[in-house]
Amino acid sequence: MSRFADLLVSTVLLAGLYATMSYGLGLIYGVLRVVNLAHGGVIMAGGYLGWVLYVRLGIDPYLTIPLVALASFGLGVALYQGLVRWLPRGAAGGPASLLLLFGVWLVLRNIAYALFTGNEQSITTAYSTRSLALLGVHLPVTRLAVLGIGLAIAAALHTLLRRTQVGRAIRAVAQNADSCTLVGIDVDRIYTLTFGIGTALSGIAGVLLATVFSFNPSSGASELLKAFVVVVLGGLGSIWGIALAALVLAAAETYAVLIMPSYLTTAVGFVLLVLVLVLRPGGFFGHRILA
Amino acid sequence: MTAPPLIPRRMAGVFVAGCAVLAVLPALDLSPYAHNQLTLSYVMIAGALAWNWMGGFVGQVSFGHAAMFGIGGFVAGRLMLHMQLPPPVCWLAGGVVAGVFTLAAHPTLRLRGPYFSIATIGIGEISRQVFTYWEEFTGGATGLSLPISAVQKYQLYWWALALAAAVALASIAIRRSSFGLRLLAIKADVDAAADVGISAALYQDAIFALSGAVVGVSGGIFASYFVFIEPGDMFGFDRSITFVLMAVIGGVGTSLGPALGAIVYVVLRNYLLASYPELHLGLFGVLVIVIILFQPLGITGLVRWLVRRVQRAASPGQP
Amino acid sequence: MTALLAARGLTRRFGGLTALDGVDLTLGEGEILGVIGPNGAGKTTLFSLIGGSLAPSAGEILLDGRPVTRLAAHRRVRAGIVRTHQIVRPFANLTIFENVMVAAIHAHRRTEGHARDRVAEALELAGLADRPERYPASLTLAGRKRLELARALATGPRVLLLDEVVAGVNPAEAQAFAALIRRIRDQRGVSIILTEHVMPAVMSLSDRIMVLEYGKRIAEGTPGEVVADPRVIAAYLGSEAGQGAAS
Repeated sequence: MSRFADLLVSTVLLAGLYATMSYGLGLIYGVLRVVNLAHGGVIMAGGYLGWVLYVRLGIDPYLTIPLVALASFGLGVALYQGLVRWLPRGAAGGPASLLLLFGVWLVLRNIAYALFTGNEQSITTAYSTRSLALLGVHLPVTRLAVLGIGLAIAAALHTLLRRTQVGRAIRAVAQNADSCTLVGIDVDRIYTLTFGIGTALSGIAGVLLATVFSFNPSSGASELLKAFVVVVLGGLGSIWGIALAALVLAAAETYAVLIMPSYLTTAVGFVLLVLVLVLRPGGFFGHRILA
Repeated sequence: MTAPPLIPRRMAGVFVAGCAVLAVLPALDLSPYAHNQLTLSYVMIAGALAWNWMGGFVGQVSFGHAAMFGIGGFVAGRLMLHMQLPPPVCWLAGGVVAGVFTLAAHPTLRLRGPYFSIATIGIGEISRQVFTYWEEFTGGATGLSLPISAVQKYQLYWWALALAAAVALASIAIRRSSFGLRLLAIKADVDAAADVGISAALYQDAIFALSGAVVGVSGGIFASYFVFIEPGDMFGFDRSITFVLMAVIGGVGTSLGPALGAIVYVVLRNYLLASYPELHLGLFGVLVIVIILFQPLGITGLVRWLVRRVQRAASPGQP
Repeated sequence: MTALLAARGLTRRFGGLTALDGVDLTLGEGEILGVIGPNGAGKTTLFSLIGGSLAPSAGEILLDGRPVTRLAAHRRVRAGIVRTHQIVRPFANLTIFENVMVAAIHAHRRTEGHARDRVAEALELAGLADRPERYPASLTLAGRKRLELARALATGPRVLLLDEVVAGVNPAEAQAFAALIRRIRDQRGVSIILTEHVMPAVMSLSDRIMVLEYGKRIAEGTPGEVVADPRVIAAYLGSEAGQGAAS
């Protein structure tokens, strides 16, 4: 029974990680219909930034989050204004945006490599290896922190999108950008903001992940993959959908470990993605994703 | 009304002449370095062109072609080691297995656009992990050594040239054929293509399998060239990235652009690795960004634009 | 006369919304059937069901007495049912010639030589024979609609579904289109189902008219009969404001 509880807790904690990792990607895709292929790169960059602030300035990693968020927001705004908004509209935007952001990912990767070399890093603090024991279950402190902060972020995002003027504008643009211009919403400004917020979310996720996993400049591909699975499963424009999907993915992976070797667990998310997309050919939320 | 030939006569002539020159080159006092670089370039040309059939002709951008590349390489390697078959047979076998592998990825082919692309990242990553772990096949982290003699390695030049030439001809032929037309229609509008009778599933499967098979063969030759291969590199994301870079630089969607892109990539990469080794990925990233924003058809687009400028300057009266 | 195309009990639901509810339809050989109805009546859904891009929630479709309900869109084209789109969808990356060619090569498993002839015929009929190497972007809306028509013709259809072909073009062009449609039926023997908002066009072209409202068939008959049917009048009068705003 304690084993079951252990697995359950592991699942929830992992879900917290996956959800936090996915909001940024989901927001940008939901509003701009652009898959931010640089998402993995930003996560990696956020991790490095948090690590640098911790190692050089001694700031506790979780306290670096506001700084990392700000820096990532700035990066996102710069990326949108400088690059993304110049992409051609329409069908050409598809592969073009993918390749463009892919190029950005390569650049981010190189900057990290040039500054920090290719060595594996991680953020290790005094409490990194500590766990809380609660009702016979072990709760690693770092994963708990990630879950907690992740929930806070979800709540903040929810408040932003549902209770503020800006949030309403963002949701309107996600629904129908053309109509929004007609009612006076500056769509370009909303796009800029959304890209900035989305990138900030990815950066924050980077710091959080860095306290749990090790990373190097090449990291990011599997984060991108899993975030994508979560976003597709959870739906566009639904924070709680993402949280639920993260739970599903985490559960699938955790229990898959029981039946298959651990190196195959990345495949689980992928298989899940393909299964769901093939069995629901109409796509989710009216979005045609299948040929 | 008869259809125009798949390969125009004049183009065929130029092509054959060019290949003849290249085939004779090693006999004309070519340095070993140049000999090797050309061999490698031919392999890359084949891979880039084959990638372009997916990414450029039918518009499905793959970030996971390393999977087929690796399978081709290791299948060929294993066959050479255990069955002592002649290398060309092993390469072909590697290609066939890679082609079958892509057919197994059929469910992902029903995905569109970014969904497909991200799925290919998944294919690539999972292949890497699975094959790295599958030590009996790939030798795990220690990799595989192929029984290639120095003479055989020298002769790779002509095999690679033959492959590149065949793939280039195939690229031109596909683009000009009705098969290519259907691919382009699917790329433009999948639903409208269905409404004129084109089965997207069938044609995408076909071109993906072809693309995968060719990349598999190039993987076999690549493996023979380097003699020692390991799964982390052959199946790695960086390997998949290479195909994308070559095609983008040369011109995604053009018939032969990626061949140019492959050459530029090999040359540029050598230069960067020698002079600024830490910067080479980032510089390629910047190149991709610049290309996407200013000249989406890469070098081919640039050349076409220049030619048009020159033509307009030469005859100012024309509209 | 056995019907060339017969649909029975066609129903399509989208979640809670029933777009089409138990619609029956018959189309005779060489007949032009007009489908009209207020906005949201289900006309485009009907076309999507018959054309094959949507699967029905219930009902069946028979071509020459053989069921085609389970055939995917591209197979239906091979069987002989082809549709045009309300919002035209040319292949922007192909020339006008190639646009039609890609449709022609598919229809019948003939050699490519014959396909090129069919392309030339289709372009000729649609009035696009003069600039086949240009791209669709260089055409006006009317031109692109003609291209859509030529593309459909090149597949060698037996049943042609024309979704608002005349909408959005000027009166002169509309006349030309009407003549073109009649020619397609007269010269090629193609049976046609068309839907339009432009009443005069539908009335003059159709042999028979079917009226839809809220997904149900409320009337069917000759143009004269339908126009006088009180239920049809009520349906249109009742949503006149909607009609006015839409056009």
